[in-house]
Amino acid sequence: MSEIVLRDVSKIYDNGYHAIHNIDLEVKEGEFMVVVGPSGCGKSTLLRMVAGLETISDGEISIGGEVVNDLTPGERDLAMVFQNYALYPHMTVEKNIGYSLRLRKLPKEEIKRRVAEAAEILSLTEYLSQRPGRLSGGQRQRVAMGRAIVREPKAFLMDEPLSNLDAKLRVQMRSEILQIQRRVGVATLYVTHDQVEAMTMGDRVTVLRAGVLQQCDTAQALYDRPRNVFVASFVGSPSMNLLYAELGPDGTSLRVGSQNLEVPDTLFAQRPNLRAYLGRELVVGIRPEDLTMAGDGQTLVGRVGHIEALGSELIVHFGLDARNYVVEDKGGSAEEAEELLEETALTQHVRNVARVAPRSSVVTGDQVPFRVSMERAHFFDLASGNAIW
Amino acid sequence: MVTLTSPVPQRRRRKIWTESRVGLTMLIPGIVLIVVFMLIPFFYSVWLSLHVEIVGSNIPIRSVGLLFYRHLFTDPIFRGIFLKSLENNGIFALVVVPVQTGLAMFLAILVNRNGAFVKFCRTTFFLPVVFPMVLTSLIWKAILAPGPAGMLNAALRVVTFGHFTPQYWLGNVHLALPSIIVLSIWQGTGFQMVIFLAGLQGIPSSHYEAALIDGASRWHLFRDVTLPGLRNTTIFVVMVTTIFSLQVFDQVYLLTQGGPLNATSSVMYLAVSQAYVANNVGQGAAISVVLSFIILLLSLIQRQVLRERVD
Amino acid sequence: MSTVSLPASSSAPRRRRRRRRHVPWGVYALLAIFSVLFLFPIYYLVVGSFETPADTLNGLRAAAPSHLTFANYHSLSQQFFSSTITGSLQGFYTVSTLVSLIVVVGGMIVNSLAGYALARMKFRGRKTLLLLIIVLVIIPFQAIAVPLYYMLSGLRNTVVVQALPFIGSAFSVYLFYTFFLNLPPQLEEAARIDGAGPWRTFLQIILPNAKPAFASVAILSFIQIWSSYLWPLMMTSQPNVYPLSIAIGNLLKQQSTPNYGEMFAFGVLLVVPMAAFFLVFQRWFIRSVASLAVKG
Repeated sequence: MSEIVLRDVSKIYDNGYHAIHNIDLEVKEGEFMVVVGPSGCGKSTLLRMVAGLETISDGEISIGGEVVNDLTPGERDLAMVFQNYALYPHMTVEKNIGYSLRLRKLPKEEIKRRVAEAAEILSLTEYLSQRPGRLSGGQRQRVAMGRAIVREPKAFLMDEPLSNLDAKLRVQMRSEILQIQRRVGVATLYVTHDQVEAMTMGDRVTVLRAGVLQQCDTAQALYDRPRNVFVASFVGSPSMNLLYAELGPDGTSLRVGSQNLEVPDTLFAQRPNLRAYLGRELVVGIRPEDLTMAGDGQTLVGRVGHIEALGSELIVHFGLDARNYVVEDKGGSAEEAEELLEETALTQHVRNVARVAPRSSVVTGDQVPFRVSMERAHFFDLASGNAIW
Repeated sequence: MVTLTSPVPQRRRRKIWTESRVGLTMLIPGIVLIVVFMLIPFFYSVWLSLHVEIVGSNIPIRSVGLLFYRHLFTDPIFRGIFLKSLENNGIFALVVVPVQTGLAMFLAILVNRNGAFVKFCRTTFFLPVVFPMVLTSLIWKAILAPGPAGMLNAALRVVTFGHFTPQYWLGNVHLALPSIIVLSIWQGTGFQMVIFLAGLQGIPSSHYEAALIDGASRWHLFRDVTLPGLRNTTIFVVMVTTIFSLQVFDQVYLLTQGGPLNATSSVMYLAVSQAYVANNVGQGAAISVVLSFIILLLSLIQRQVLRERVD
Repeated sequence: MSTVSLPASSSAPRRRRRRRRHVPWGVYALLAIFSVLFLFPIYYLVVGSFETPADTLNGLRAAAPSHLTFANYHSLSQQFFSSTITGSLQGFYTVSTLVSLIVVVGGMIVNSLAGYALARMKFRGRKTLLLLIIVLVIIPFQAIAVPLYYMLSGLRNTVVVQALPFIGSAFSVYLFYTFFLNLPPQLEEAARIDGAGPWRTFLQIILPNAKPAFASVAILSFIQIWSSYLWPLMMTSQPNVYPLSIAIGNLLKQQSTPNYGEMFAFGVLLVVPMAAFFLVFQRWFIRSVASLAVKG
């Protein structure tokens, strides 16, 4: 058992592409660390650098106190679970799980014992003599896990291991993976693009964007105090409403489009730096659940677009006359970003979302006042995107 | 947890150069063989085409520049043979490429279904592919034998109720090349058919279903689904067939020796017979080099043209 | 024209019923005609080899002989009685088999390794080498046969020289290269993390998953080498190192009044191993040729 430490790690490809920028990261012993970010943010590259499948351009990676920069993947004593499982098609489940042990020339009985034990944990015992081709997706996933745990490695690396499963199985496997990780108790680096997966699984979550570490903290902390507008919009589903706003010169009001919200004094007590923004434009972020239809207080009146009835709640899309702030590279490639922008232009009038109690009497086309809890609003600097506290 | 007995690694910076060294070790045997037995002979052939050497004599080898290349187009006697051979190759390719490609595609579509008889036919069409050209030549020499005893002559006589005059297929200036073309197609079609079959099976059935729902007729299915689906396959088949067509040698050498009156002489046959039979090595080499460049050029052009037309 | 299943639609039950009973007679008729055309030369070869010289070349009657005989086979074995003077049938077989074995087995080893290195290893000059391979694929063997003849004339009349130029093959390398390129790299990465080095990865992980590529290369190079004619023609002048193709070719070229029955018998002997091999491994043969199209 040991920890993974990244110190000032960078990756620059031969073609000059700068994939990873000076990342510092520590995965403690037994910790489940999730790295999350849009596709193309460099999270898989980071994982592969730890694994030894990519060279490290700069910085230092150590596992269990030993610098591993120059070690081959085999020498690093890690286990890795791949997105497509990478099971050896020509080997039985038993051989697949035991392959690394055979390479390490462990005694036959020892291999048999360990494989049997791993199979037991993963309820694969009856499939040991089958080839991976005949197994279901979930079973293959378990074999890949088995291959990892049988090693008793220093650390687990997982590269989107659940993205090939259907939604129901994915939820089930999340908890299975967590249970196994707790049981084995090794440092785990888990990469995903799915922020829900990240939030539900990680002891801590690292948000990565374009090779730059945005924030690394517990899921709750990321949600409650995102360090910048990117993390704010990336974490949480549906994502945070982001609007251009202007703080009044005297600090008593916030102008959002044509509407004014009263600003309580307590806000400045909580966020002393907000005083610097008096009379200036900034971005205000409001989580969908911080907009309610009942009770009284500050309200923003919006025109209701379509409504998603989820049973336990209603997701109400609505439009305001305020301008929405758009985080551009939430989804990887330039094309996707462009698409997103086009979509934005089309749906400008219903860009905002509120989560309200079920059976609320709200109808598409209505003008509805949404109550805003100002204490829970987030504020971001317009230029840097950093949160204002 | 058990710490496995991995040796304490020494400081070393070896991953990268180890990999490239292993890569080189893997490459070397194959690449050396290819370089020694393909690349060097090719350059040697270029060199030979620029020099004259009287085999078995003491006259020193001397450089003659582009003499042998000029010969191809200026030498009063040789020029005629060379251009005739080039023309024969051209005719051969112009007939074989479309006919064989079309026939192969047609047969592939016919056998792209289930059933014992269909399976039998598939085997039948492919079987000639495993026939060495020596054997193909032998069989067809018998089929094309002159006089009323020849199989083809006899068959045609029966079909025409005795009106057909027996022909000397391989000895007739007008019939020799077509005869060679027919037996080449017999031998080669199965090969292309199988490639098309694979191409057909690579077309997702949902494409056909979508077209059917849109009300497409069989002809539309063929034109709008099958043909576009076979695009890459067709490019490949046409390319391979063209290259094969330009390399025709065995059947010419075995059946007609280029005759009668050079009616079947191919460029490759001319090159080999110049070098090997006439002991005119430099001339043979020059022809080979010219042919290689023609083939290279054609494959480049063809690739480009086909790609553009379909896009 | 292809096997298209009509979407099940309840609104057109009549059409569906009709379709189920529909037998494509037209297709079968066409297939039958083409089968006869393709099969006839083969039938002629086999039947002719059992006919008397008078029957073999006797118009249409050759296709339906009055009686069959082993005389041609008998006469062949009489004719090729000594390995040194005339060559022996057994000797021709041995040479052809040995040459094929060297080319097929040797070729699979060296070309697969080279293809793998090109597809996976990083080294300088990789792209140049790949380009070279692609260009070399299209150079016809006949174009380099003469210089090769000079280079290897010291090895004339050996078995090895008949195989030597064909072991390393740009075409096979390219075939392997494209196959390995399409193999998911995660398999090798998993093996590396499990602690396997490049050689072990190749032998234990790649090889077992590349059977189709090996089968393709083996079969295609077997067809090519078993049929090769020009090269052994140039390199052999002694009957004891003749492969089958040369022996039969000599028969074909030397006889002014060809005895077709005898040559047909020889032809049958030449093609039977190949045809038997094909019929047994038909699926692999077809798959290997089909795999060529992938690179299109």
